[in-house]
Amino acid sequence: MMPDLDQVGEGQTQQEWQKVPEAPAIMVDHVSKWYGQVIGLNDVSLAISGGVTGVLGMNGAGKSTLLKIIVGRLRPSQGQIRLFGTDPFKNPAPYHRLGYVSESEKLYDWMTGLDFVTTLARLHGMTRDEARGRAEHVLNFVGLLDVANKEIGKYSKGMRQRVKIAHALVNDPDLIVLDEPLQGCDPLARTTIMNVIRELGAMGKTILVTSHILSEIERITEQIVILHNGRLLALGNLHSIRELLDHIPHRILLRTPDPRNLGRTVLPHPSVYGVRFPNPGELIIETNSLSDVHQDLPALIVESGVEVTAIENPDDNLQSLLGYLIGGRS
Amino acid sequence: MQPTTPPAGPPKRNLSETVWTKLDRKATAIAEFTIRQYRKKRSTWTVGAVGAILVVVVLLFYIDAMSEGIESVDDDGDGLLDEDPSTWTEWENSQYAGRTISGPMSDDDGDCLALEPWMRDSNDDGVDCNVIYEYDQNGFVTSVQADRFVDEDPNESEFLEEAMHRSFLLGFGKFGFLFILGIFVPLFLATGLIREEMDSGTLHYLVGKPIARAEILMYRLLGFIGLAWPYFVGLFVLSALVTGIFGPGDSIYRFSDLGIWFGILIATFLTVLAYGAVFITFGIVAGRYGVLVALLFAVWEFFMMFLAMIGTTREMGIASMSISFWGAEIINSTAWLVWGDYAMMSGQSLAVDIALWTVWYSPFPTTSPLINLVISIIVLLLITGLFVLMGQSSFKKRELN
Repeated sequence: MMPDLDQVGEGQTQQEWQKVPEAPAIMVDHVSKWYGQVIGLNDVSLAISGGVTGVLGMNGAGKSTLLKIIVGRLRPSQGQIRLFGTDPFKNPAPYHRLGYVSESEKLYDWMTGLDFVTTLARLHGMTRDEARGRAEHVLNFVGLLDVANKEIGKYSKGMRQRVKIAHALVNDPDLIVLDEPLQGCDPLARTTIMNVIRELGAMGKTILVTSHILSEIERITEQIVILHNGRLLALGNLHSIRELLDHIPHRILLRTPDPRNLGRTVLPHPSVYGVRFPNPGELIIETNSLSDVHQDLPALIVESGVEVTAIENPDDNLQSLLGYLIGGRS
Repeated sequence: MQPTTPPAGPPKRNLSETVWTKLDRKATAIAEFTIRQYRKKRSTWTVGAVGAILVVVVLLFYIDAMSEGIESVDDDGDGLLDEDPSTWTEWENSQYAGRTISGPMSDDDGDCLALEPWMRDSNDDGVDCNVIYEYDQNGFVTSVQADRFVDEDPNESEFLEEAMHRSFLLGFGKFGFLFILGIFVPLFLATGLIREEMDSGTLHYLVGKPIARAEILMYRLLGFIGLAWPYFVGLFVLSALVTGIFGPGDSIYRFSDLGIWFGILIATFLTVLAYGAVFITFGIVAGRYGVLVALLFAVWEFFMMFLAMIGTTREMGIASMSISFWGAEIINSTAWLVWGDYAMMSGQSLAVDIALWTVWYSPFPTTSPLINLVISIIVLLLITGLFVLMGQSSFKKRELN
């Protein structure tokens, strides 16, 4: 018998190869992870293929644990994990198609950004020149090309996050996993990184990104997974969840030198059922339809002629969303 | 099993795209990275500088010792200094008395090789053409028993200086390079190769790439070797130059010693590799106690080294349970091969005896230096392989939190 030099397998033609269905990028099957007595992740099942997915959860909800299991840094205590159909803890093959940005802020501070990305690119089997070319390309993509020859130790926080993203993109991955990519960044860096993630999503990559800040995720994606105390709490479109949220009591905080005058103007609005003045220079509007009030608020402020320095939604955070979701279940 | 990534067609096989060239790229990438990382660490420079200073200081002592002459001593107590031909009083009463022997009647170089082979060991110690000196606890000669035609009262300024030089080479090779530097350089540089990356939380950059963890460990070790071996070569070149120029003899340079230095080089290369594999594995297996375990291991090695110097434990092979023993065995075997007149030397100086750890009297494991050399090299490579495998299997199962 002739040896199968092409390693295609017996009797399989090219067409048959292509018929084989592609395994989902991420398959999490009843995965639990505990550290001694502490449960990090409790029976989570998930399949993700395509699109940008946000993983939301408070600190300690199990986001990082989930991501570490997905990228094969940790082994699940129970259940199975498949990355493109392969167990990532046992086999590094799926890393060919994965880019992982860890939550760790540690980097090789003594390397230049270009060296760092080039060295890691070579671990994908590229030659020195290929790796250098790819590294320059991805550094340009995240907007770091002008500081590529500076040492990472001299980078700002946002630059460090971006160089981590660059290294994850160097192999042109199909799946990108980002653990808290916006943490600790200033607003400008946040915007840049969010744009990068959105752009990657638009390029058709499967992206998984974690955050504990709802508004951040909201600006990146609508498809979310909510983790709470190691459990999968909700999974779906952020809009539908937000609509539910819209009809529960809500507060809007305005900072203004003349809160009472503004309060008088706002109170007649049909969706507003109360105003309070907790501190001098602050006005809290209580409403049961957040979107209605937000829609009319600019006009009302102009009408009152009062200067407003800030508008905040103290309730529009993960805590209240979780509170609502948990409350709604029990 | 369904394939995870169906290729578009039969894979093309360019010569530059085979599995091996890709492996090679990853290997050089990690090794290069490791060396550059070393270069940025203060500990590397400290270890390197301390080692270099140590070698330079020892060499200065050597130059000092060699520039002083050595006074003649009446070893056989016949009232004559460095007599040649000797009186051979013993010879007159021995079983061979009255026989005619062809060839020179005596010679200072002690090679009685002009005799028939069966006549070369008249003092019956199993070694041809040597002199047995017995010493008291102060190192003074109490009795002299020479093979026929071997000068039992040698010219000290000539022979003792040679003996000192040789014992310096061997002692320096074994204790200085093989043991002190050979164990401390890997202890400080190899223990953290994986451990420090785990602790500092940067390991996932390497592990998160399509490269098996077992390979990462091997290539990190390769990077360590890439730094340590050239460093040792530098120290060897310096030592070989100094001892070759300042050593005894009329020529400008003692080329005959290069063989010994080559033996010490091979021994140090292999022990450094073996210790590197041991310590990188300790770093992974023993976690934060890795350095402590490594230190205990160093103590063990040191203890074994002294056991190897005691004849009886040596013959029992107890000391062979250590890396230092097999490294030293390479040096012993090379000395044996390079210095053919070794037997004479070993009898004349207590210092050479100690430096050679009485290897002549009880060769281990065989009586052939060449076979011993080959066995020692194989054993060291096996130890390296064993510890690399242990480190790899532990590393593979390790969770990176």
